[in-house]
Amino acid sequence: MYFTDLLKTSSRALRHAKMRSLLTILGIVIGIASVIVLVSIGKSAEALILDQVKGVGSNLIFVIPGATKGSRFASPPSVQGIIIKTLVKSDADALKRESTILNVAPEVRGQAKIVYENNDTSVTYTGTTEDFFQMRNFTVAEGFTFTRTDVDSLNRVAVLGSEIAHTLFGARNPVGKNVRLKNILFRVVGVLDKKGLGPFGVDQDNLVIIPLPIAQKQLLGIDHYNVINIQANDAYNIDFTKARVTSVLRQNHAITNPDKDDFTVRTQEDALSLLGNITSVLTLFLTSISCIALIVGGIGIMNIMLVSVVERTKEIGLRKALGATTRDILKQFLLEAVLLTTLGGIIGIVIGVLFVIGLYFILVNFSPTGWAFALPLSSVFIAFLVSTAIGILFGIYPARTAAAKSPIEALRYE
Amino acid sequence: MILLDAITKEYNDDGAVTHALRGISFEIKKGEFVAIMGASGSGKSTLLHILSFLDRPSRGDYFLDGKNINTLTDEELAATRNHTMGFVFQAFNLLGRSSVYENVELPLLYARVPSEQRKIMVEHAVLSVGLSEKMYAEAGKLSGGQKQRVAIARALVNNPSVIFADEPTGNLDSESGAHVMEILERLNNEEGHTVLLVTHETYTAEFANRILTLKDGQLESDIQVKVRRRSKEDFFK
Ligand SMILES: Nc1ncnc2c1ncn2[C@@H]1O[C@H](COP(=O)(O)OP(=O)(O)O)[C@@H](O)[C@H]1O
Ligand SMILES: [Mg+2]
Repeated sequence: MYFTDLLKTSSRALRHAKMRSLLTILGIVIGIASVIVLVSIGKSAEALILDQVKGVGSNLIFVIPGATKGSRFASPPSVQGIIIKTLVKSDADALKRESTILNVAPEVRGQAKIVYENNDTSVTYTGTTEDFFQMRNFTVAEGFTFTRTDVDSLNRVAVLGSEIAHTLFGARNPVGKNVRLKNILFRVVGVLDKKGLGPFGVDQDNLVIIPLPIAQKQLLGIDHYNVINIQANDAYNIDFTKARVTSVLRQNHAITNPDKDDFTVRTQEDALSLLGNITSVLTLFLTSISCIALIVGGIGIMNIMLVSVVERTKEIGLRKALGATTRDILKQFLLEAVLLTTLGGIIGIVIGVLFVIGLYFILVNFSPTGWAFALPLSSVFIAFLVSTAIGILFGIYPARTAAAKSPIEALRYE
Repeated sequence: MILLDAITKEYNDDGAVTHALRGISFEIKKGEFVAIMGASGSGKSTLLHILSFLDRPSRGDYFLDGKNINTLTDEELAATRNHTMGFVFQAFNLLGRSSVYENVELPLLYARVPSEQRKIMVEHAVLSVGLSEKMYAEAGKLSGGQKQRVAIARALVNNPSVIFADEPTGNLDSESGAHVMEILERLNNEEGHTVLLVTHETYTAEFANRILTLKDGQLESDIQVKVRRRSKEDFFK
């Protein structure tokens, strides 16, 4: 039979049982729609996270105290709350002399209550140097960031995150006002622009930034750093700079055996690949759930096709008596299954895309997360192919059953 | 064109062996109108199935146009069946939801006849059974007699050399039955189709020019009919 005639024959059979055909493909429709929705959500999340990591700054390298044992994604002990005092001023000074390093900003962190008049709240404060703002893409909405003079002269000045400014001052302008941090008065010199969530869900608006020596000496009473932020002069130099940072610190700390490192050097790329790993595990998980839906849908199709083959025993016998070969019958029923699942796939894709667009509008209008619409065309294409493949996979058995029927048995069937 | 030599057929149902045919031999020449008669269970349908390749004999040789069909593959049998044979069944066996046109077209689809040529052949076949005005009607909604005429149109659309009919009037009232038989007779007389008819009705058999009678799977008699019964009045007698 010519393919066009085969197509007409198969599609006619489906049209003659419209309701059944629609119910049969429901599982595939739901499965494919959920694949589209989940892949889109996964991709959007990935894009969002990428933005967040990039938003932290460019060409950054971070040094954290303590070694990282095991995989490069394991967290160093300092992150787990163990205090390690290995990173100090001489390290930062040595790093500043490296030719591919543009800026170095050591950082210490603490928790304290911040008070303005009758308002108070708990906040994470960061003590750092003047370069930190530019390096980490913090820009001011009001006033200015503090300067090198402020740092060197131990001036008690503070830059507030937008959220904390709002909590303490409401609609008033905080610049020039005094806030109290651990009972020390700080003059607010600037308020940061709203920045949103950082990678790993870090709140970048609920913070106070003060000069490094004040934080170290007067608030925390320590000499070491929690992090050293380093900015390389060029994206091409990141790996080289990372290697240099490692060897400078080993030299400074008199470490000869790399297994004895007391610090960890990470680049933004490392953070990205870690996050990439998390999102791909998530995507894989979501995709396998949709796969189960698709397999259930496929089994549904196979089931209905088998019933249909039994019901149409007589038709099969007749076709064979009139000259249909085993292959003709096989092709006819296989094509019916493929048409069903492909139709289900197309409907599923349409529903999925509409759902994603709806979701996108809701998120954009009601939540300021900076969520971006992502629907890779490849996923639509793959969904289409998968639905066709399911038709072949789950249609082959019913089709073979049909093709194997002997014409007289089939004609005798009542 | 058909030569059977000692054909036997046994059915084996869980050890219970039925000897449906026990050594049938005969020859049918081109242009004959043969009726196969016999009591129910005598092996008529089995013989017809073997003659039309729907089933293979247990033993014996079957030559069609000089070719031993034992040497043909299933695919070749399907193709030969499609090109040289037409079928009319007692139960019509039409695709009820499809139109008359689509039903008649069916053998041509499997013969891979191009669609323009198909249209000409289908229209010709439907015209010759007098159903042109029902061309696009749903086959399932026709009367019994009309259905069987559609089945005949389908049987002759590929211009087969032989038409097999298994009790074609069995489900019809006598008038429709007569009409169907007249069409078969005309196809034999005027268009030269060989017709092989299974029936247990003497009236129907009288349209034939040769009557084979089966009994318990064996050929009981083989009679040439000199004068074929002609008029409708005789049929209703
Ligand atoms: N598929 C089959 N399996 C077992 N026995 C069968 C089968 N087909 C026919 N028979 C038996 O073979 C004999 C001949 O049947 P059949 O050719 O249908 O006779 P008729 O058409 O003359 O009534 C009967 O005894 C019938 O029961
Ligand atoms: Mg019979």
